[in-house]
Amino acid sequence: MSTLSTPVAASRRTTLARISDLRAWLFLILLVVFFEIWAEVTYHSSFVLNPYNLQSISVFATAPLLLALGQTLVIISSGIDLSVGFTMGLAAVIAAHVSNLSMDALGLGEIPAMVLAIAAGIVVSLVPGLVNGWLIAHLRVPPFIGTLGMYGVTRGAAYLIAVGATVPIHNSAYTWVGNGKIGELPFIVLLTAIVVLATHYLLSQTRFGQHTYAIGANRDAAIRAGIDWRRHTIKLYLLSAICAGLAGTLYTGRFLAGAAQAGEPLLLDSIAAVVIGGASLFGGSGTVFGTIAGALVIAVIQYGLVFIDVEPFWQFVAVGVVIIISVLVDQSQRRLAGERQDG
Amino acid sequence: MERRKFLSLLGTSAGLAGAGALPQLAKAADKKWTVALVPGLTTDAFYITMHRGADAAAKALGVDLVFQGAPQWGVTLQVPVLQAVIARKPDAILIAPTDKQQLIQPLKQASDAGIAVITVDTFIGNGIYQTGSGDADFPLSYVASDNILGGKIAARALAKAIGDKGKVFVANTIPNVSTTDQREQGFKEEMKSHPNIQILQTQFNDDDANKAAALAQAVLARDADLAGIFGANLFSATGSANGVRAAGKVGKVKIAAFDAPSDIVDHLKDGTFEIAIAQHPGEIGYFGVVAAVAHLTGNSVPALIGTGFTVMSKDNIDDPNVKKYVYTG
Repeated sequence: MSTLSTPVAASRRTTLARISDLRAWLFLILLVVFFEIWAEVTYHSSFVLNPYNLQSISVFATAPLLLALGQTLVIISSGIDLSVGFTMGLAAVIAAHVSNLSMDALGLGEIPAMVLAIAAGIVVSLVPGLVNGWLIAHLRVPPFIGTLGMYGVTRGAAYLIAVGATVPIHNSAYTWVGNGKIGELPFIVLLTAIVVLATHYLLSQTRFGQHTYAIGANRDAAIRAGIDWRRHTIKLYLLSAICAGLAGTLYTGRFLAGAAQAGEPLLLDSIAAVVIGGASLFGGSGTVFGTIAGALVIAVIQYGLVFIDVEPFWQFVAVGVVIIISVLVDQSQRRLAGERQDG
Repeated sequence: MERRKFLSLLGTSAGLAGAGALPQLAKAADKKWTVALVPGLTTDAFYITMHRGADAAAKALGVDLVFQGAPQWGVTLQVPVLQAVIARKPDAILIAPTDKQQLIQPLKQASDAGIAVITVDTFIGNGIYQTGSGDADFPLSYVASDNILGGKIAARALAKAIGDKGKVFVANTIPNVSTTDQREQGFKEEMKSHPNIQILQTQFNDDDANKAAALAQAVLARDADLAGIFGANLFSATGSANGVRAAGKVGKVKIAAFDAPSDIVDHLKDGTFEIAIAQHPGEIGYFGVVAAVAHLTGNSVPALIGTGFTVMSKDNIDDPNVKKYVYTG
């Protein structure tokens, strides 16, 4: 443990976090058991022991989960990043263009073009990340407003660069990144798992992680403890943008085209995943493993409801209800836990 | 080649606007008319292609064309743009209204100010104009593809591709969008005359390719013998195709895609998509301008102008007469 001088608060936090963590996973298990029973009874086959279902759901969850990872860091620090969806779209479009240009204009092979494309997508995403962090840390713009502004800027930039269309790629190496498998394991799932572990390590095992919780729990106290919150905040928004950039470049590989609106529908899912995972929108709590559970809960419901053939409009209702229940359970747990500690 | 196309289209348009329209149209050059085109959104290849068609007609007829719209679909974004356009007092407005009801009043203002209103691609009210009844019958004409017919064409082509039997489902974007609802409606109507084809529940994906892919995989997990998917718009089609690929069923599950940007058309040959139904957005823009000028020069205009479709498959996509209908940005 390092400079943080509040071990009691820290241990309280981890206890709380563990409860919330566990809750999201319990909820996930409950859902899976429900679909398993349904599948056994109706189709006489397993829902969860079916590698095809596992692959489909895990691939489905990768993009929202990548966005949610960055979002987790930002939300723990009591911020929010509304620009991730279009940062993802911007990266997707840039990556597609760079792949095409480096093959057609520079005459590069498929693999170098793919590497260059992914690198370019991620580098471009640093710009909105940096602007977000700078607006929030130095100009004291509230995160909701600052990142909403960048939501507009990145959206416009993505559409301008895409010139109003999706940008198709013709690069089988890049397509493999999005759709290839190592054995039975889809490559994007493997890559996402690595990012998940890295983020988990960063958040739970390093000073960087401790500072993130400290800033979110009480910024003034964190500043008094000597944390450079401005620098730290900029780093957090940069990390969030990098996650979004990676998600965007993977999208292009997966769907064989970059699209400006690639991440638009994922913004709310990413925030929902973090909250279902046990983080508080007021900052100071949340874990990567909670967020994984949150993202999987959303993916499993969506997939499972189609699997058991629920009517489409009821699917919307069911997903909404599950999110509300999940957060309500969390709130009441928090209140109980808070009362216990205060008393 | 382009010029010849204009001329042949102009010939068609003269026939359309009534006999003797051509000399009248030529006279339009004396007074320089201004026509504004307000698309549903400016960032979409479909509307960009429509703009090119409108531009071609404007050049051919000596009309000034103004193209102004919002970068994203939505009433709150489109209305301010429309009001700014009205303030410039064009002679006619061609608009793709983003809502059937909420655009009635703003467009009524334009109409009351003496501006001719024509809707393109989408409509206000029920899309039936100049009937003398209702509050949304004032536009002169509705120029669009017949989306119900487009859905039927997709159904016929998909039925043929799957040997007229098996399970299919419609992958659709967001409920209650007039055009995509009509495609689904047409698809289902046509399938009624194919009794050996079973239509499963429609899956809505919120215009998210990632979700469309997962939904297709979930349907395949349940119904492994799925024979075909109708993707009612771009992301519904590309997302479903990705799901089918992940399931290792490319070619076994046939996909009919509505709309024809290059990322769909490019994958007809590798079997990802069986067919692509191309609308003719350029034609919509072209005939929108022609209808406006016909009206401004004192000619009558049909209240409904239906534009065509082209069914693309791997067998005909190299034909330049087919390829020219691919949407480009």
